[in-house]
Amino acid sequence: MTGSKMAGDAEIDFLGLTHELETQELEAPGGVGSPQLYGQLLTLYLLKNDLCNAKFLWKRIPQSVKSGNGELSLIWVVGQHMWQRDYPGVYEALRKDWSESIRPIMSALSESVRKQALNLVRLAYSSINVDEFAVFMGLPVAEAKQAALSEGWTLDSQARFLTPKKPEPVLSATLPNEQHLSVLTDYVSFLEN
Amino acid sequence: MPLPLQPGIFQAAVEPMQVDGAPEENDNVEEEPQYTVENPSLDLEQYTTQYTGLARLNRLMFIADHCPALRVEALRMALNYVMTTFNTNMYGVIHRKLQEAVSASSSLPDAVAGSVHSVPPLDVPWMETTAKKAAFKLEKLDTDLKNYKSNSIKESIRRGHDDLGDHYLDCGDLSNALKCYSRARDYCTNPKHVVNMCLNVIKVSVYLQNWSHVLSYVNKAESTPETEQSAKEANLTVQSRLKCAAGLADLATRKYKSAAKHFLQASFDHCDFPELLSPSNVATYGALCALASFDRQELQTNVITSSSFKQFLELEPQLRDIIHNFYESKYASCLNLLVEIKDNLLLDLYLAPHVSALYTQIRNRALCQYFSPYLSADMHKMANAFNTTVSALEDELMQLILDGQINARIDSHNKILYAKDIDQRSSTFEKALAIGREYQRRTKALVLRSAVLKNQIHVKSPPREGGQGGEMSIAPGSASSARN
Amino acid sequence: MAAALEQYVTTVQTLSNQGNYTTLVEFIAKNMDMLGKNAAHLDNVLATLDYQQHSIGVLGILVIKYSVPNITDFETLFVQTQEFVTSCNGEQVRYAPDNFAELCHKFASQLVERKQPTRGLAILTQAIQKIQLHPAQLTSIHSDLCQLCLLSKNMKPALRILDADITEISREGGHYDAKDFLLYFYYGGMIYTALKNYSRALYFFEMAVTTPSMAVSHIMMEAYKKFILVALIVQGKIPTLPKYAPQVVPRYIKPLCQAYHDLANAYGTNNPAEVRTAVTKHTETFTRDNNMGLVKQCVTSMYKKNIQRLTKTFLTLSLTDMANRVQLSGPREAEKYVLHMIEDGEIFATINQKDGMVRFHDNPEKYNSSSMLLELDKEMQKCMKMDEKLREMDREIAVNPQYVQKVSGAHDEDMPASTSKNQGF
Repeated sequence: MTGSKMAGDAEIDFLGLTHELETQELEAPGGVGSPQLYGQLLTLYLLKNDLCNAKFLWKRIPQSVKSGNGELSLIWVVGQHMWQRDYPGVYEALRKDWSESIRPIMSALSESVRKQALNLVRLAYSSINVDEFAVFMGLPVAEAKQAALSEGWTLDSQARFLTPKKPEPVLSATLPNEQHLSVLTDYVSFLEN
Repeated sequence: MPLPLQPGIFQAAVEPMQVDGAPEENDNVEEEPQYTVENPSLDLEQYTTQYTGLARLNRLMFIADHCPALRVEALRMALNYVMTTFNTNMYGVIHRKLQEAVSASSSLPDAVAGSVHSVPPLDVPWMETTAKKAAFKLEKLDTDLKNYKSNSIKESIRRGHDDLGDHYLDCGDLSNALKCYSRARDYCTNPKHVVNMCLNVIKVSVYLQNWSHVLSYVNKAESTPETEQSAKEANLTVQSRLKCAAGLADLATRKYKSAAKHFLQASFDHCDFPELLSPSNVATYGALCALASFDRQELQTNVITSSSFKQFLELEPQLRDIIHNFYESKYASCLNLLVEIKDNLLLDLYLAPHVSALYTQIRNRALCQYFSPYLSADMHKMANAFNTTVSALEDELMQLILDGQINARIDSHNKILYAKDIDQRSSTFEKALAIGREYQRRTKALVLRSAVLKNQIHVKSPPREGGQGGEMSIAPGSASSARN
Repeated sequence: MAAALEQYVTTVQTLSNQGNYTTLVEFIAKNMDMLGKNAAHLDNVLATLDYQQHSIGVLGILVIKYSVPNITDFETLFVQTQEFVTSCNGEQVRYAPDNFAELCHKFASQLVERKQPTRGLAILTQAIQKIQLHPAQLTSIHSDLCQLCLLSKNMKPALRILDADITEISREGGHYDAKDFLLYFYYGGMIYTALKNYSRALYFFEMAVTTPSMAVSHIMMEAYKKFILVALIVQGKIPTLPKYAPQVVPRYIKPLCQAYHDLANAYGTNNPAEVRTAVTKHTETFTRDNNMGLVKQCVTSMYKKNIQRLTKTFLTLSLTDMANRVQLSGPREAEKYVLHMIEDGEIFATINQKDGMVRFHDNPEKYNSSSMLLELDKEMQKCMKMDEKLREMDREIAVNPQYVQKVSGAHDEDMPASTSKNQGF
């Protein structure tokens, strides 16, 4: 569910790339793809928060490819921490000098993880310790506090606990009335048949 | 299976999580009958005279087993009483127990106890003569029966069987007694005989604790057409006996509501069944089962305003007060009174295994009734009203909510119980969606199944040797890859 | 080239050009032995045929090539198979679905044997699309693809076929077998389990377990074990199987899966200690059955179910109390569980760290948004579509001559009478 909450415009590109890479993997001669292919695909799965498929991809990458390319293991370290929902671990693991081919995906991932953390705290807490919030966000306390306040959250008098501001319910456009009516007519006739 | 005992802190946590508390309780009762009652307020002398025969002996033995304070006295009475029967086996058992009890209590420094509790020596001559007499009587009854049979006088044969059954019962040989009473069945010539036979069988079946047997013979007796000329009085007595027996069977099989209904139908003026139970028993059993299983309305019409049962309740004034307190929502005093009489109830042969279940149900009814008029209730006050702590109350309420008995939710932070208002619209939507999805799932399965049947796909016997084996060896291997 | 082979080539070419595929299929069936005897020269024959125009003829040869006991040049064969599957004419091969399926089975088992399952995924996916009349038709190749997916740890290619609900089964000339069916639903269930789509996995295992059956199948038994575990994760109990489930399940399979029923019983007490006891007691069995991972998921799911039960009884609860009530190590672990469950949408709650409390909410869905309306709409459409499908099937049955004969009058007399009448004429 969290995967769908990602930055909208960038996602389309990544999705297309994912499909392309999946096809490439299937058509790879002898069934073995290049380290770059595996690296990108693995990172893309993480970005989509599709941890199951990331895990299986990691498992199926041939040992020879893994040992020939150290970066793959580093990517999977990120995945492992995500699997355990260990935010500090994720931030720590993300803080690497990634190679050209996955750098943009990784930076999108960093951003998305942080966004995800913020959304989760907003959803799950009615009050949270500032220090813990900072850990969630992977930011220094002062910065985390600033980020929270800029979201309209409030801080208690001792400056220890943050109260997240709940998102306003989004009112989506309603269906055109006539169409709606005809649909309803269909249903009633179906149910009564 | 009995629940393993939890360490202290978990106790509170575990219990409320059990939706199904009752079965465990059953098992505990059946597997661990050992408990002792310390402070009974029972007048043993007066108690025992209400019963005759095995009923008296069994009850005394039960008290002896569970109440150290009354043990010696109860066994002594039992010993005296058993000597009026032919039951030499039981005499032996009682005597041995008495000896053990006395030696155990005289080892105490209490010198007086020692002198009072001297055991009469085992009366071997009595045992021998009684056994001889019993054998002699048996032989005589047997010969009589043979004679009747050769003369084919139905009524005499029936009586012969009954007499033989009585004698076996007197000797404590229940299975033979049951056989004889049952045999009388073929020689019953009128409904009265049938009812009599049923009562005999019921009596022995109760002693044997064969409750399904009891119920089926109660049914049989009740379906026997009533003879018009039979005296009304006798009829009512029979009716009361049957109701009591049925109530007892229901109680033993945990059908408390049905038990209550049966006991409530007993007629006070015709309640004479000392071989099984006393009118006080009817009052106690009936009242407790009714409290545990009746709603307010039923309690009012069937118990409180019942003129017949009122008379029963006069025998047990404490129970009368309990019922009235309950009805008037004075739960604290009601529950206090229940605690007071608990020890005595635990000394009742038939009631003891159900005391804790009945008490829990009564308490739960009280809790539900207490909350029923409120939208929210202060749990501190509620705990006060129920002689309990807030945290214990929380556990009890949790269980009741999970069981669906109370529609509420607990604000554990502020210790307030809130009635839950259900959003009918949302829950209807929710249900509709769930049903729709289930429909799709079932229909998909159905469509698939029709394709399966159309293609006559079925696992044949025996499976193909080669192919099957090869494929199967792959299955577990790939299964592992499907795991994490 | 031997004369017989030349004859083969000519016939294939002629009949293919005439479009007389039925005769061609019969011809090939009769010539399989001959092809087998000339196995050494088959590549030459292949060179003279066109994969697209003479698909049925090529198919016959490829099947024979796979039947050779020791395949020496698998790479060539692989390329040939790949090319054939890519370029063959769908209309033609659907005349020989049994040969086509056999080719795929043998191809798959070669890859399994050579530990190269990944290489078959794209080819088998394409093969299924070629031979299917429509995506809802089940073929015996389905289970091959699922098996290769599991072995190569690449589940995604299977999802495309697994997600389609089956309405029809390809007969494949009577070769479609209960084993293919069982394996498809067993492997499919495993794939969904691996991807944590437990409710769909449960459906698949249920389909395997309810397959008509006169004998105990090992596949069915393994499916039954996983059915229990997945059911515990999804529903917290073993659901009752539909009435049409075969008798072998309660009679023979159930007693052989005692460990699983013990676990389910322990699960039913909602007491983590009992579940752990059951798991410890049967660890050996679970491990041997390769189900230990799933068993662990069951244990976790019980903590979650117990927390969900708390939401039914409490508006607020301290994390410490919660930890005690569901037997977690302490408030930190309780908070972690609640947080994860909120994230996964399994409960509606907010944590108050200041007071160390959790507040439970009702489902915030009020069923008044237009997105929910669309959702309802979608579900409604699906139901209507299903209903339509049922009606269609009903109509089909109603006009089925056998059915009509059966319902119209006393068939006991009717049937033999009509046959004797026919004989008389």
